[in-house]
Amino acid sequence: MSRNETAWKEQPKFPSTHFVDTRIYTDKQIFREEQEKIFNKCWIIGCHESEIPNANDYRTFHHPGGAQLFMIRGEDMKVRAFYNICPHRGNTLLYDPVGNAKRITCIFHAWSFNPKGDCIDIPRGKEGYQERYDCKDAGLREVKSEVGYGGFVWVNVDDNSGPLKDYIGDALGLMEENLSMPLEVFTYHKAIVDSNYKLWHDTNSEFYHDYMHYFNRITGMLQPGYFDRQYKGYPNGHASVGSMEIKYDAYAGSKTRSVGWPGLAPGGWVLIDLFPGMTFNLRTSVLRMDTAIPLGPDKLIIEYRGLGLKSDTPEQRAERIRDHNTIWGPFGRNLHEDLLGVHGQGLAMREGSDSKWVLHGREENSTIHDEVGMRHFYAEWSKRMGRKAYDPFNDNKLA
Amino acid sequence: MTSKTLIDELIYRSALLMDSKDFAGFLDLCDPAFNYSITAYIPEIRKETAWLEQNKEGMKLLFDTLPRHNSDHASLSRHLTVYTVEQDEAAKQAKTISFLQAFKTSLDGGATELFAVGKVHDTISLSGDKPLLLSRNVRLETRLLGIGFHIPL
Ligand code: FES
Ligand SMILES: [Fe+2]
Repeated sequence: MSRNETAWKEQPKFPSTHFVDTRIYTDKQIFREEQEKIFNKCWIIGCHESEIPNANDYRTFHHPGGAQLFMIRGEDMKVRAFYNICPHRGNTLLYDPVGNAKRITCIFHAWSFNPKGDCIDIPRGKEGYQERYDCKDAGLREVKSEVGYGGFVWVNVDDNSGPLKDYIGDALGLMEENLSMPLEVFTYHKAIVDSNYKLWHDTNSEFYHDYMHYFNRITGMLQPGYFDRQYKGYPNGHASVGSMEIKYDAYAGSKTRSVGWPGLAPGGWVLIDLFPGMTFNLRTSVLRMDTAIPLGPDKLIIEYRGLGLKSDTPEQRAERIRDHNTIWGPFGRNLHEDLLGVHGQGLAMREGSDSKWVLHGREENSTIHDEVGMRHFYAEWSKRMGRKAYDPFNDNKLA
Repeated sequence: MTSKTLIDELIYRSALLMDSKDFAGFLDLCDPAFNYSITAYIPEIRKETAWLEQNKEGMKLLFDTLPRHNSDHASLSRHLTVYTVEQDEAAKQAKTISFLQAFKTSLDGGATELFAVGKVHDTISLSGDKPLLLSRNVRLETRLLGIGFHIPL
C-alpha cells in the first residue's frame, strides 16, 4: 500500500538505532560540525609512503576537515605533514600534486622553507621587518603524522589527538599479515560526486547492495559461503567483514586469479571500514583503499588507490592492474554501479526533496546482508556529534 | 598503397558505430587479432595505468554483458580527427594518431557535457581487401571521469 504524507513521515517500525533522518546527509550546519568534531579529530590517510619514496618528495592532500596539506619526506627520511599555505600572504606553497623540493619557495615573494617546516629565507627580511620579525616567527604549521598499517601516511590536524594505534585499535587485525610487507600504489584516481560522504561509506559498509552488481551476484552471492561472511565492529566506529571464496570464473571472460596476495586464501575477500570514511578492500590480487573527502553536505571527492607488493615483477604488476581496473577502474564493472548508486542517492535526498528516513534495519546475525556495519558507524557518529542520527534536530515526532 | 581516405573512413566509421551502440558493426571493423586499451599516465603517482584492456573476444563479452549491468544510459558522442597516418608497406600496416573528444548527453533534458579528451593510437591491418583495426589504444588526457562509464570510448 502506498503511503500519504503522515505515514511517509511516521517513525519506521524499528528501534531508533535502525534508521537515520536524511537531514544528516543534506544539512549545512551538520556538515560544518562534522568537519570540526569528526574530520578534524580523527586520523585520516593522506597518501601512501610509496608516493614519496625519496628524500624531499612531497604529495599534496585536501584534508576533509578543510585544510590544504602536503606530506613531505625529510633528508632524515622522516615524513612530516604541513598546511600548504604560506605564512606571508596566504599563497599556496606547492601547486603540483607531487614533486621533489629540497627547498620550498613560495612563488609570490620567495619566502623559503625546508622539509622540516622551518622558514629558511625571507628576501630583504632585515630591510622590511628590521628586528621585529624574522624566519623563526614564520615556520609552517605542522600537523601530526604517522606512517603505518601497510605504509599509509596518516595525518591528524588535532594537536591533542592520541597516537594512531589507539585510534585504529584492533580494527585492521584481520589484515595484519596482508599488510606486513612493503606495498606500492600502482593506480590512483578520483571521482567527484554530488552526494554525501557518509552515503559512500555506507555503500562500503553494506553488502546487501551486491544485488546492484551483476559481477558480484554471480561470482559471490550465488556461491557457497557467501552468506557466512561476518561483520565485526570495533571501537571508534570501525568495522570488518571476513573472507569467503569468490568464483571468479563464473563471470564470462573472467578467469580464476593466479597472482593473489600473501596471507589471502585464493578467491578470498576481506574488507575493513575505518571511521569516518576510509575503506581497505582486499580482493583478488589487489588492495583497494578509498578515502572519502566531503566538500560540502552534497559534494564529495573519493580518492581511489590500488596497491600491490613493492616486490612485484612486471608480469605480476600487470595482472594486479588488470584485476583492479576490470572491476574498480573508471571503466570497471563495479565501480560505475557503486557511483551510480551514490549519485542517485544524492539526487533523491537533496535538500527540499522531502526525503525523510534511511533504513538500516536488516538483522541477520551480523552476516553479510545484515546492516550492522552502518548501525555501528552511526553509533560512533552520534557520539562524536552529540546529535542523534535518527533525530538530529530533536524535532522528530517519535514514538 | 591504400588510400588515406579508406583509412580515415575506417576510423570515422568506428566512432559512428560505437556512438550508435552497433557493437557487432564495430567488431566487424576489427581484425581477429584486435586488441583494445584505454591507458593514461597518472601524474599523482608518476605511473602508467591501463583502465581497460581487452582482445576481440573480451570486447564481445563486454558488449554482450552490458544489459546485465546497471549503467548510466547517457549517450556518448565521439569526435575523432585523424592527425597522422603512417603506412608501412612491407608490414602491410598503418599507424594512425587521432584526436578524441567524447561528449556525454544525458537522457533527461539532453544536456551535453565533455566527458573526456585524449589521443587514439590505431594500428590498422592493410593485408586484406579492406583495412581492419588491429589495435586501438585510447590514450586519455582526462582522468576525472565522474561516475565512470561501462562502454569503451
Ligand atoms: S605569499 Fe608567500 S612569500 Fe608572500
Ligand atoms: Fe559495491
